[in-house]
Amino acid sequence: MSSAPTTPPTEKPPESAKAFPILKERTRFFGLTLDETIRAFFGGNAITAVVVLALITFFLFKEGSAFFGLNRESVTLYRKAGLEYVDYMRAQQESHTALTRYLFDIRLRAVSELTGKDGLSVAEANARLTAFDDFAGRYSDTIEPIRGMVSELTDVAVSIKDKYTINEDAKTERAQFLAAGMTAEADAVRIIEIDFKAELAPLVGVTPVYIETANGVATAITEVLASPPALPVPALDYRLTRFKELNRQFLATFPETRRLVETWDFQKPVPVLDTVTGFLFGRQWLTASFWQDWYGILPLFIGSLMVSIIALTLAVPLGVGAAIYINQFASLREQRVIKPAIEFISAIPSVVLGFFGIAVLGSVLRAWSQQALTLPEFLQGIPLVSWVLGLPLHALNAIAPHIPGFPFSERLNSLTAGCLLALIAVPTIFTLAEDALNNVPRSFKEASFALGASRMQTIMRIIVPASLSGIVSAVLLGLGRVIGETMVVLLCAGNRISIPDFSEGLSVFVQPVHTMTGIIAQEMGEVVRGSIHYRALFMVGLVLFFLALLINFFAQKIVRKYRISIG
Amino acid sequence: MSEPSNPFATKPSTGRSLEKVVLGIFRAATYFVLLCGLAIFADIVLKGLPTVANAFKTTSTFPYVTNTFLFEAPESLYVFEHEGKKLEMGDREFRAFREAEEAKAAAAKQPAPKFKPESYVYSAGGIWPCIVGTVLLVVGSMSIALFLGVCSAIYLNEYAKDGPVVRFIRLAILNLAGVPSIVFGLFGFGMFVIFFGWNVSLMAGWFTLAFMVLPVVITASEESLKAVPKGFREGSLALGATKWQTIRKNVLPYALPGILTSSILGIARVAGETAPIMFTAAYVVRDKLPWDVEKSADFFFQGVMALPYHIYVVSSKIPQNEYTARVQYGTAFVFLGIVATIAMSSIIFRNKLRSRYKW
Amino acid sequence: MVTDISSSKTTPHMETPAAPATFKVNVPSSSTKLPATTGTLIDIDNLDFYYGAKQALFDVNLKLDDKRVTAFIGPSGCGKSTLLRCLNRMNDLIDGTEVKRGSIKIRGVDIYGKNVDAIELRKRVGMVFQKSNPFPKSIYENIAYGLRIQGQNNKVRLDEIVEKSLRGAALWEEVKDRLHESGLGLSGGQQQRLCIARTIAVSPEVILMDEPCSALDPIATAKVEELIHELKKEFTIIIVTHSMQQAARCSDKTAFFYMGKLIEYDDTRTIFMNPSNPQTEAYVSGRFG
Repeated sequence: MSSAPTTPPTEKPPESAKAFPILKERTRFFGLTLDETIRAFFGGNAITAVVVLALITFFLFKEGSAFFGLNRESVTLYRKAGLEYVDYMRAQQESHTALTRYLFDIRLRAVSELTGKDGLSVAEANARLTAFDDFAGRYSDTIEPIRGMVSELTDVAVSIKDKYTINEDAKTERAQFLAAGMTAEADAVRIIEIDFKAELAPLVGVTPVYIETANGVATAITEVLASPPALPVPALDYRLTRFKELNRQFLATFPETRRLVETWDFQKPVPVLDTVTGFLFGRQWLTASFWQDWYGILPLFIGSLMVSIIALTLAVPLGVGAAIYINQFASLREQRVIKPAIEFISAIPSVVLGFFGIAVLGSVLRAWSQQALTLPEFLQGIPLVSWVLGLPLHALNAIAPHIPGFPFSERLNSLTAGCLLALIAVPTIFTLAEDALNNVPRSFKEASFALGASRMQTIMRIIVPASLSGIVSAVLLGLGRVIGETMVVLLCAGNRISIPDFSEGLSVFVQPVHTMTGIIAQEMGEVVRGSIHYRALFMVGLVLFFLALLINFFAQKIVRKYRISIG
Repeated sequence: MSEPSNPFATKPSTGRSLEKVVLGIFRAATYFVLLCGLAIFADIVLKGLPTVANAFKTTSTFPYVTNTFLFEAPESLYVFEHEGKKLEMGDREFRAFREAEEAKAAAAKQPAPKFKPESYVYSAGGIWPCIVGTVLLVVGSMSIALFLGVCSAIYLNEYAKDGPVVRFIRLAILNLAGVPSIVFGLFGFGMFVIFFGWNVSLMAGWFTLAFMVLPVVITASEESLKAVPKGFREGSLALGATKWQTIRKNVLPYALPGILTSSILGIARVAGETAPIMFTAAYVVRDKLPWDVEKSADFFFQGVMALPYHIYVVSSKIPQNEYTARVQYGTAFVFLGIVATIAMSSIIFRNKLRSRYKW
Repeated sequence: MVTDISSSKTTPHMETPAAPATFKVNVPSSSTKLPATTGTLIDIDNLDFYYGAKQALFDVNLKLDDKRVTAFIGPSGCGKSTLLRCLNRMNDLIDGTEVKRGSIKIRGVDIYGKNVDAIELRKRVGMVFQKSNPFPKSIYENIAYGLRIQGQNNKVRLDEIVEKSLRGAALWEEVKDRLHESGLGLSGGQQQRLCIARTIAVSPEVILMDEPCSALDPIATAKVEELIHELKKEFTIIIVTHSMQQAARCSDKTAFFYMGKLIEYDDTRTIFMNPSNPQTEAYVSGRFG
């Protein structure tokens, strides 16, 4: 505290100080009194949170940041060893394979149509489809020349890559020997510098042959398509038309591929930025492959996002609805039971929820989607009970066909995970939204009632708008909880690493996905420490970390910005 | 003569029936959530309880009764046909049985019987090491978290003056609370397991979990400290007590029950999390119990089995069938039971405390 | 305008003149014989006090007598409580408070001086708060608390002081059979006397009372006031009060504050009977405040 400036400092206590002994020199440690020392001790503890946050950032960066360098090396090798060159052709081959699958899909539908509606046996149905099968076979064969080329070139490229890898290993070995002072052993390690240009000669030499082949393939496809078979199921004709359209698009990509192949240069450097964009916007997360590993976070991010969307779509109405009900309508007794009960739900460990998803929910949802919900066996035996409980099941079964995406065949998918995550998000949203509603001054409500507004009008026009910022931030924090949740998505999301097919409309929500949290949990235990894969997982962790901070930031900002308006 | 019309009479209106419908929807939402929770709870209890209940066995030594599921280590389950009967046995039992049968056959000069068992990993025995590991993890991490958290809260609530530093600390606490648990796992792995070289160990798990639960403990402690009336502090200071004397004798004792109660929720969180211990503390399987160490220092640097991780392992790594489901559900039941008891006691204690301390 | 009277004489006997028409105050009868004052104990000199940027006290000059009861009166927010809390530096606990000018000396020692330990100061200058704040401990421990924190743990000595303090606070007869029950179980007035007992247990020289009776009913108030009469034999008491009757009943001298300024300071009789300042007169006659 301040000393009074007008009085001279009482260095020498006056005579009367003996009578009023309030001057005291306290024991000091490092210039601090005991109380100040204690204060410093507690203060030191208080900054733990700051330190931990800093340490998290630091260690995630420390382990993860080397990813970009490693990834650049990896992509450079991909180019140098000619893998990129082969992949241009492989892309063509794979597009064709996808088109062939489209034909099979048509066939599958035709068979089910014929056996289902028309009541034919499978053999009869197959018989009717012979013309189609012939067509499909011919179409499928058109790509063979390219397939053959790709398969040959793959071997060449892989052998170059292997050579390089072996050489690199040898270099490391030698460096280790040298570091250990074992010169003789170091000299014994054979290192052959790779002349990429020479090695690539057989690969690049193929270019003219490829161009010729590709032209041949294009002609073959056009020829085959010129004589399409008549489908025995007219309802599917539009699919055949669509197939032709798709092929037209496919053929249109040929000149571009040709250009890529012709201008390909193995020495073109990989820009640093490409490794960052390749990570953030890469559409493939492919690891432990013999060919080339890709670390693109997009499929995982989209997976996390889809699961979260499902979870919030379910949790927001439930959580906010329950909060409004408890805060505004429920009797005191109801409040006393329901509030702890919902808190209690939040205590269910996520791994138990995940297990429930695997063991029960996945199968139940699938059964529902296939209109096959049934009562558990022990209930089926009891006559009246089974009838009463059966009613809602029948109702659910009846509405199943009208739900987009139903039926589905994968037990574990984003819907299963999303439902369970909703249960995790509901208590968070409920508790925070209820708090927000509670904070609305009583006078608002009373003023509205005094003007003759009904209870519902008061709630919808006064209370909910006044607490909207709190509710929105509750939803955001619920999102943070859901997007960071690991065990449920790891166990129930299906763990298929690919960007879901959005062309199928709402049924994307019943496809299996993999998530950012899930991939870390699943792959972290198996990777080699320090490898590019290991670093990539830390980068995913870093993205998650910043995503969480961002969500938190917005949640707080919203609360702070609109809090004043309540007054 | 018609009666004078009552202007206050209830008028039937669409608004009013709409109100009922909306209220019904809100109520349905509330009870639907509860129903979901209840369904999960019931499913796991109903299917898991028999596993525990059927595992009681009498023993010849004190206390004469034991539960093989709770108090034994997991082992593989062997299912095989023998003399026309279908038998199920745990690993040890099966070996003893096979040896006995082979000895019997040898004695009778017959060819040794052939067993073609199907084996199911982890599906026999019990979960004792997991329970031990979970308890150790919880006790250790909560001790660390309580110490750090209570000290932080004392600083923030008793010493600190509002300013940029305190605001920054509070911001950090808020943000720490939002960090996903798997990120804590990664951090713990990077810092404790690799950088400090503690390997997968109790210590690494303790600190990782403690940091994760720290915001919960700090918030709970601060609330409890705030609930102690200002008069206690002023009265004590006016008597010439130092700040620390005041806190130690006249604030902490009254805040402590509240701190501990609210921290029980933190315990439930620590016990329930899987992701942070996956790479820092948990082993899939470990034969030794944690106290089975050569040096006492080894105790802190050993990995343990833990219930949540065990559930993850048994539910994701082995297919579901009638033999494996028992252990899966049994483990989930025991785990849920433990966490639910902790959470329930927190809620009950808190309500009791609220009615007891009214200053 | 500041009226500064440093010396004081007790007026032995005085005829009660007619009180101002609008408001009747019972002026102290002065029947009790006071021990002679040893003169000025606390000397407040040109004090300016700030809460952050807001000035709460303006140039206060005041000399408070030893072994006397001084009352601070004035409307809410006039700074009387602030000044009281300056006297044992309780204001230190509030962020941003500062004595910008002037000094407070007790027995010649500047309590805002450099080497002054606020803890030691508070042992000498005790305080009783507006809202009785017994600790949630037993009655005995409530009183022993101040001694224990000073390291006094001798049971016999503690027993002795507890009894003496409780007797001093006129509470002994009421609680002697339940010393080990919670202090929170006492009635409001008893709680406040317990707080006084707690304060006198550490034998301070000055007791500051911040509206000690504002939460009490009239009977409990009377008891506390009686106690104040007894206590002034041994202690210097400074009491902040809202109730003018209370000031009139139990104080020897009264200081009237308004808007952070000391308006008038004089013998209580003078303040209530014959104030020299029109503002004081307006206040004591109940025309504002």
